[in-house]
Amino acid sequence: MRPHTAWGFSKIPVKFKIPTSDNLVPIRLDIEIDGQKFKDAFTWNPSDPDSEIVMFAKRTVKDLKLPPAFVTQIAQSIQSQLTEFRSYDGQDMYTGERVVPIKLDLRVNHTLIKDHFLWDLNNFESDPEEFARSFCKDMGIEDPEVAPAVAVAIREQLYEIAVQSVASARESRMNKKYHRKVSEHVTSSKSGGLAVDLNKLFGNKASVVRKRKDWDVYEPIVDFLSNEEVDALEAKEEKKARSNSSKLSLLSA
Amino acid sequence: MEISQSAEAPELDLYTIPSYSNWFQWNTIHEIERLSLREFFDGTSVTRTPRIYKEYRDFIITKYRELPPPIDPYSKKRVLNFTDVRKSLVGDVSVLQKVFTFLEKWGLINFEYDSENEGESGNGGEKTAPLKEEVEEEVGKERVRVEEGAPYGVRVVAAPNSLKPVIPMPPLVEGMGQKTGGLRSGSFAGLGSYTDVYGGLLEGKGVECGSCKEMCGSGGSGFYECTKEDRSYIICEKCFKEEKYGENKGADDFKLVDSSSLEAVWSEAEISLLLESVLKHGDDWETVVESIKTKSKRECISKLLQLPFGDLMIGSVRRRESNGDATLVQQGDDTAPTGTQECLKTEDKDHKLNENQQNGDAETEDPPKKKQRSTPSPGASSLLKQVSHICGVVGPHITASAGEAAISALCFENQCPRELFDDDDDDNDDAEAVKESEPSSLNNTEQQSAQPADNSDSVKILSETESKSASPHKNVIPQTLRTRAATATALGAAAAHAKILADQEEREMEQLIATIIESQLKKMHEKGKYLAELKQMMDSQHKQMEEVEESLILERIDLLQRLFNAGLSRSKDLLAEPQPAGTT
Repeated sequence: MRPHTAWGFSKIPVKFKIPTSDNLVPIRLDIEIDGQKFKDAFTWNPSDPDSEIVMFAKRTVKDLKLPPAFVTQIAQSIQSQLTEFRSYDGQDMYTGERVVPIKLDLRVNHTLIKDHFLWDLNNFESDPEEFARSFCKDMGIEDPEVAPAVAVAIREQLYEIAVQSVASARESRMNKKYHRKVSEHVTSSKSGGLAVDLNKLFGNKASVVRKRKDWDVYEPIVDFLSNEEVDALEAKEEKKARSNSSKLSLLSA
Repeated sequence: MEISQSAEAPELDLYTIPSYSNWFQWNTIHEIERLSLREFFDGTSVTRTPRIYKEYRDFIITKYRELPPPIDPYSKKRVLNFTDVRKSLVGDVSVLQKVFTFLEKWGLINFEYDSENEGESGNGGEKTAPLKEEVEEEVGKERVRVEEGAPYGVRVVAAPNSLKPVIPMPPLVEGMGQKTGGLRSGSFAGLGSYTDVYGGLLEGKGVECGSCKEMCGSGGSGFYECTKEDRSYIICEKCFKEEKYGENKGADDFKLVDSSSLEAVWSEAEISLLLESVLKHGDDWETVVESIKTKSKRECISKLLQLPFGDLMIGSVRRRESNGDATLVQQGDDTAPTGTQECLKTEDKDHKLNENQQNGDAETEDPPKKKQRSTPSPGASSLLKQVSHICGVVGPHITASAGEAAISALCFENQCPRELFDDDDDDNDDAEAVKESEPSSLNNTEQQSAQPADNSDSVKILSETESKSASPHKNVIPQTLRTRAATATALGAAAAHAKILADQEEREMEQLIATIIESQLKKMHEKGKYLAELKQMMDSQHKQMEEVEESLILERIDLLQRLFNAGLSRSKDLLAEPQPAGTT
């Protein structure tokens, strides 16, 4: 009933980190001022000095010829996301023996990507950027914006999982103080929910080569959209975003 | 290999891997792999084990080799990319990528593929196709790779997962050819490269006649193999009949090789494996075939039948023919198998009778060893080794009686004169008696020199096995008979042993069944007891209940009486009222 202890080492907590080789923070910007929109996603090295943030914002605004009001907005957004990331610094998380499915479903300009693969949370040498680069090369994607977007999407999901794992580690610590037996059950079920069943996939009986009929399931789908399709999709997304925000405002009211 | 390049199979091409990757082998994991991909070998995770690494590696390489040849004739390259691979493999993509990059780096996949070039053409698309062509040619001039044959690191095995190296597949078997043809068109992942290499070989093997230079041995006809100087000299049946033997060769120098016997090419290892497993499993051919694997059941049986016996027969036939005594041996040849069978049949009976003759047994303890010692030909030694082994497996008295039975059967089948073997036959059951009669029969043979040589031979075998006297005619004894006697002995002994084992087994089974029945009976008995107890309990309870009921009734009557005594009760009143209504 305790899938982790079977391998003996996963009880050792790791300090919080995005489980990749570089500890880069995915940053997503979505700013709207006076009907002008700015959307971007990139990674940020949290060990860089914070003074760089304003520099970066200024530079971006200048390069993209955005109104100067964006500078503070961008800087603030980055700063807040960095602060949130740093708040997890130094906390414990359990990553051992967890392989999680990563799902990609994103659109970058004219490219639509859907993909589905496994990521080992215990592998601190993984490199989403490299993965994204080779992905684009293999799939014949020429748009230079796609690879960074894919990498950021992977990092965002890993970040989210890492945050969850911090939370569950904290929870289990809290529980441990009072009732030991329950805590173990809780942690195992918590982490087991998201991760794949390793015994089933990698056990002695299973072959790591997928069945032929599954190949299509795990095959990445890349679509190149026409201008009209992009417009239609953007309109749809906007509508969705608007209805969401109106719902939010209703809820808050 | 050359045959495989025939016109029939134009699509075959060699897989090239760089010479610096010649460490690669399908069935092992090399030190380089261990060092480069350490995470698979440090045992830190169930998701990264050597087994999983090997599966990844084998799959990726096989996948690369299975890629269809490029449609574009100018780009003679197949390219496997990572995204194609990862959809079919379970596992962390970064680890998968590491394996992929490793294999690519060592040229085990995408060796002929130049990544820079691909990048250009990828960007250029169709428009730059002619340009690409030029680039291709230039590049082609620049990088000339000299590879001396296939790198010795590439060893072709039956399938990437099996550890057995490929033993030359049986040629000339049409069924096999069709099978592999099916394999090639079908999608058997692991076999792709194997069939590419061996497919042609299976289809087109024939033997060239040394005389008419035509392919013979095909189409079901046999051919003759020269037995003298060079064994590779072969002539076809037609040429043999027309007496075109070639230089310095005569009809005697050729041996007919039936194409059916060619069906299976048996290696030394396989034969010994066959013999071993036959010894171990006996008639259980399924098990025997399982242990041999490379051969079918039919092949195994026919091989065993034709193996040492046939060889030795042929050897002795030839010797006899040169002596001008062909007919006699011909007889012996024909009757050999029946002799063995007879022996098997009679042996059992002999053995039982022999059990009473303990003193006789002790004296005939070591005939098998003796036979082995007297074997002159090296070809027979392997057989006799087996014989002695079989004899060693069973008890000495069994061996002895088996030997006697075998010899008597041989005497019969060689049509020995009645007067000589009558008493032999009568005393056949009795080892002691045979022993006594033996010197006289020897004398008989010596005196009657006009008798066929065969008889004296048989008797000599008898004498040799029975008494340990070294006969002066030892070297004259035909090997055929000795071998047959030996094999018959061995088989008989083995059969006897098997019979004993079977009997033991049967007894054991009977005993076990008896125990089972006994325990069942016990169980039933216990159950009966238990039920009786239960019944008793029920009875007593029933009695109690009855008593309670009785007392209740009594109580009730008592109560009613009291009520009655105390005057008219309410219930009585109520009961009394409807009565008049009912009567009116």
